[in-house]
Amino acid sequence: MFKGTNASAGIGIGKAAVIKEVEMVIRPDKVASVEAEVQRFRGALADTVAQTTVLRDDLATKVGEKEAEIMNGHLMLLADPMLTSGIEDAIKKDSVCSEYAIETTCTTYADMFAAMDDELMQQRATDMRDIKTRMQQTLQGIKPVDIASLPEGSIIVAKDLTPSMTAGINPANVTGIVTELGGKTSHSAILARALEIPAVVAVSGVLDKVQDGDSMVVDGSEGVVIVNPTGEETAEYSARREAFLKEKKDLERFIGQPTVTKDGVHIELVANIGNPDDVAKVLQYDGEGVGLFRTEFLFMDRTSMPTEEEQFEAYKKVAVGLAGKPVIIRTLDIGGDKEIPYMGLAKDENPFLGYRAIRLCLDRKEDIYRPQLRALLRASAFGGIKIMIPMVTCLDEIREAKALIEEIKAELDRQGIAYNKDIQVGIMVETAAASLMADVFAKEVDFFSIGTNDLTQYTMSVDRGNEKISYLYSTFNPAVLRSIRHVISCAREAGIMVGMCGEAASDPMMIPLLLAFGLNEFSMSASAILRSRKMITGYSSQELQAVADKAMSFTTAKEVEAYMKEFISQ
Amino acid sequence: MVRAKVVIRNLTGLHLRPAGILCNKAILYKSRVQFRTDHTTANAKSVLSVLGACVKCGDEIEFICEGEDEQEALDSMIKVVEDGLGE
Repeated sequence: MFKGTNASAGIGIGKAAVIKEVEMVIRPDKVASVEAEVQRFRGALADTVAQTTVLRDDLATKVGEKEAEIMNGHLMLLADPMLTSGIEDAIKKDSVCSEYAIETTCTTYADMFAAMDDELMQQRATDMRDIKTRMQQTLQGIKPVDIASLPEGSIIVAKDLTPSMTAGINPANVTGIVTELGGKTSHSAILARALEIPAVVAVSGVLDKVQDGDSMVVDGSEGVVIVNPTGEETAEYSARREAFLKEKKDLERFIGQPTVTKDGVHIELVANIGNPDDVAKVLQYDGEGVGLFRTEFLFMDRTSMPTEEEQFEAYKKVAVGLAGKPVIIRTLDIGGDKEIPYMGLAKDENPFLGYRAIRLCLDRKEDIYRPQLRALLRASAFGGIKIMIPMVTCLDEIREAKALIEEIKAELDRQGIAYNKDIQVGIMVETAAASLMADVFAKEVDFFSIGTNDLTQYTMSVDRGNEKISYLYSTFNPAVLRSIRHVISCAREAGIMVGMCGEAASDPMMIPLLLAFGLNEFSMSASAILRSRKMITGYSSQELQAVADKAMSFTTAKEVEAYMKEFISQ
Repeated sequence: MVRAKVVIRNLTGLHLRPAGILCNKAILYKSRVQFRTDHTTANAKSVLSVLGACVKCGDEIEFICEGEDEQEALDSMIKVVEDGLGE
């Protein structure tokens, strides 16, 4: 059994098709006529461009324009004057064959990309090596591996799949993909997900242990690969495969369905996102909006503060993408635990009890908070944006933040800049203080969102990263459950919306309790939405009251967990 | 020779697609079209050179155009960046 990175969910069972590139020996052979060699190179280049164009068109019709984009990239690189003149200069300078000139020139660029401190740029190294190999194969008359004609039930096993190889994959015949290299965001992983083929990548040493035609199991959900499985294993994975496909089909029925309990309670089922590109996933899984957009990504991995304009574009992109659906954007939640050199944050002795989130933002209004709030207000003209303040502990913070928002609104009015005048401002409830004061805070804000990860941490005084005390970190602890129930009831009494954006919101054992408590909005990773919708629509919140009462009568986390586990398994 | 500065707004910086759009615009002009970053100078007509400059979102670059249609080229480069390079 091999372990790798789970790159595309699902289970594939089939026969190994080991892809081995023909080894080409590239030597600095001298050529008699430099002119003739340059012509030979130009001919091969033209042929490679023609092949790539065919691949691009194939991919565009078979998978989609977005996936064909990578081939457009190859065409751009092949047309680059620096690359082609570099290769021709190398031929002329040393009177060497085209193959060698291509080798040295392309490798220089591939190495340059590989050395860059940016994952997307590093992937360009793969592209560069791919076009290098294809030009060389064309020169030597070697036909590229014909992946398009693999027999049905094939599991591709390769060192890495070049973009031009993946372009040839026929999802009707390929039931799994295993590579020794790559990561979750590598080209082969992205394509495998688009084609819904189970894939495990970064499986080291697998090529040495697999022969062409071996039986194989690929579990792309767990990142497991089995070569020549026993009858027992095959039976087990066949059953899992059936279950996976059944669940997937089953969940697809819930796309486009409203999230309403059996007794008619409407629930908002929304997604947590970390950057504007995640919007595609939210729409794919039919999220009803965004319950938490973390804005930290805008501030990380860079050398200067993002401008108001840049932030505006990012927020606007999400608002427009969700076409008027609610989008709750959390203002910067950062502290001394993060290395952001340009912010000049001193190391905090206790970063989670220290100078962070709203505490930091209110202290640095001019360079941090004002530009962010201005960008949020401006973007609110384009969709359903709501502002959420993190880590609130006292009323003064809420009032000060709201006063600043009002100040910026007046400024925008004077400048004639559009924004949503009725924009909602809410808070994360994630500290013990906010929970205890929830009845008071509920009168000052438009909504609550309970952050269960931090609320558990602060309520239990437990560092969730410390394994020695992990027994304390459970949202099912009666202290945490009482806190959650209290916050929800305070919000309902004040008539404001109350949601949850921590991991607990998608926990099958927690959902029945939250429904019984009266939570309005559940925010989770997009991939959990359909499963949660299925659960919620199967319950009646009235009938769950008795379950919640029983759960709340226990005095330890273990008892609550055991009871809820028992309840959902019925 | 004319020059002007502009800030890159694309979220992923000058990656392959936006870089391609930039180059396709630059090659329309006879002038030499380059841009400078804090650490390097890139040939805006070469996608490899543009990628090699590793320009990120929020970075400021300065276009430098030289040749018979330099002003036209400069205006056009600034506009294509401000329009978001296809994003």
